[in-house]
Amino acid sequence: MTITVSPIFLFNAERSEPEAAELWDGITDQQLGDWEGEWVPELFKAVQKLHRAGVERRHWPQSRHWNWRKKTEALQGMLAHLGFSIVCNGMTQGMMIVDTTMKRCRIEEQKGKNLVYVEFVENAPWNRPELAQPPLYRGIGSILVRAAIALSQEEEFKGRIGLHSLPQANSFYANTCGMSDLGMDPDHQDLRYFEMTPEQAEAFIAKGNQP
Amino acid sequence: MRIEITKEWCLRMAEIEANAEIGAGLYALDPVFDGETMPANETNEEPSIAFGRFVRLMRRDRGLTLEKLAEDTDVEISELVEIEDDTHHKPELRTVYQLANYFKVPRSNLLQVAGLTAPRDNRLIDEAVRFAARSESVAVLTPEERAALEAFVAVLSEEK
Repeated sequence: MTITVSPIFLFNAERSEPEAAELWDGITDQQLGDWEGEWVPELFKAVQKLHRAGVERRHWPQSRHWNWRKKTEALQGMLAHLGFSIVCNGMTQGMMIVDTTMKRCRIEEQKGKNLVYVEFVENAPWNRPELAQPPLYRGIGSILVRAAIALSQEEEFKGRIGLHSLPQANSFYANTCGMSDLGMDPDHQDLRYFEMTPEQAEAFIAKGNQP
Repeated sequence: MRIEITKEWCLRMAEIEANAEIGAGLYALDPVFDGETMPANETNEEPSIAFGRFVRLMRRDRGLTLEKLAEDTDVEISELVEIEDDTHHKPELRTVYQLANYFKVPRSNLLQVAGLTAPRDNRLIDEAVRFAARSESVAVLTPEERAALEAFVAVLSEEK
C-alpha cells in the first residue's frame, strides 16, 4: 500500500505552539499498532482515573455494545478500506475510515447522490477532552473533515460527505463543520446523522481562511 | 492523494475546534472494559492454563499473597483467584495489562498467552503449553518450577 503524506499542522496545547504533523491517506499496520499499544492502555488509565475520582459509571466514556476484541477485529478489517490518519511526533493522533460506494445522500436537495460516507473517526485518548485535561493536540477533527471533503471533490462528489456522530461530538459536526443534522438514526444505535452539501463544504473551508 | 492545506488554515481551525469531541461512526464507540466478559475462544485453552500458572508462580516467586498482588496491581482479588484456579476463566483485558506491567513482560505477549488476542507467535504458544505442562501448582516453588518459570519468562519477554 502506497501512502501519500501531506504536511499539516496541529496546535500543541501543552506548549501553546503549532507543531508540524502529517496527513496520511491510509490506515496502516502502524496505526493499528499505535491503537493497540498506546491508545487502548491510555484509555484504561483514563477510565481508572474516573473510577478513582468517584465519577459515576454512566459518565465514563465506554459505550454500549463494543468490547475490546470486537473493536480490534473491526479495525483490522478496515485496513483494506479508504482512510486517513494523522501522525505527529511519531504517533498516530487521529484516524478516519471512509466509504465512497455504499451510501447515498439523504438531504432532499441532493438525495440519492454519491457521497463520501465517514465510517469512523477517532481521536487519540490524550487528545480527547473527556479523558485528558487538557487535551494535547487540537485541530485533528477539522483536518480529517477537510480530507473527507477533498476526497469527495476528487471523486467528483463535489464535497458531499455524511457521517453518524457520537453524541458528544454532535456540536462539532453541527456548529464547527456546519453540517445538516438529519436527526437520530435508529439503524445506527440512534446516533445522529449529519450530511454536508457542496455549499456547506465550501463554507467550512472558507471558515479556516478567515482571520 | 496529496491534499494542500495551509498552516494558517490548520491553526485557525484548531482554534475554532478547540477541545471538541470528534468521534463518529459506530466503530468509534469506546470498548467496554468492565463488566463485559470476553467471548470464549475455544482454541486458546492451553494458553489460558499457562496464564493462570504463570500468575500463580510469579506471585509465589515473589512471596506475595493474593491480597497483596490484588492490592499492588489494583485488580479484584476474586478475579485473581479465578485466573489462578479456573482454566476456563477469561480475564479482563485491563487485568492482563495490569499484570503485564507488574511482572514487566510485554503486554501483547501476555494477551496472547491469556487467550485474549489471536495467537500470532506459534513459538510463544508452544512455550506456554510446555510451561503449563511442566509447572505444578503446589505450595512451594520447586527448583524445577523455578527453572520452568524462568525459561517461560525469558520467552515471554522477547519483544517483537
